[in-house]
Amino acid sequence: MDDLQYLILMGLCLLVTLPLEFVFGARVWRRPGRLLAAVGPMLVLFYVWDAVAIARTHWWFDERYTTGIVLPAGVPLEELVFFVVIPVCALLTLEAVRNLLDGSAPIVGWLRRDRDETPVPERTTEVSA
Amino acid sequence: MPEYTILAVLAAAAVVIAEVRWLRTGVFRSRPYWIAMGICYFFMIWVNGWLTKLSAPIVLYDPDMKTPWRFPWDIPVEDYVFGFAMLTLVLMLWEHAGRRERVGARAQEPPT
Repeated sequence: MDDLQYLILMGLCLLVTLPLEFVFGARVWRRPGRLLAAVGPMLVLFYVWDAVAIARTHWWFDERYTTGIVLPAGVPLEELVFFVVIPVCALLTLEAVRNLLDGSAPIVGWLRRDRDETPVPERTTEVSA
Repeated sequence: MPEYTILAVLAAAAVVIAEVRWLRTGVFRSRPYWIAMGICYFFMIWVNGWLTKLSAPIVLYDPDMKTPWRFPWDIPVEDYVFGFAMLTLVLMLWEHAGRRERVGARAQEPPT
């Protein structure tokens, strides 16, 4: 299990941010073309950076906590996953924040509807009591 | 030479220049961008903190390739600069792609 630590951490990041897509209406996963246009070029640049950094031993990875699967140019599989997962988390955050600020996040509507449905007489009873 | 430190600063500068000179998405003047970056940095501390903790590090760094500063816990300060470059670039490209989609959609509308 220890060799999956890095991947499990990435999986948790995806799991924790997934509600942003639906509860906050981020619509990142549901716009795959735009997602690819954003992550693709960044992924290429940062993959090259990672390969250079590994070759120059700026950093390396503990074998205990990684699968040992190595991609071209000596980049571990986990790093590729990182360069996809973390940007997706950031995009979900950006869109969730935007939808909260302009009130278009589904959760804003749900909360508003709940409030509107509160029976008014009940409230006056509370006040008189 | 602290090569990681130098590369991180160069990358962050390159991303800022790409925005100002070329993409001009306006992220640096947008509230959602700064708020989202703040939230990302908050969560980055936990994820990065786990990856770099010196008690059982997943990622290890050559001390000669970076500054000795780590904060909080054992996170190399360079990682925040790396993170700024990576996240800002992807958010910029997302905004850029969104703008192109909107322009494309408008171009397909029948002329009024």
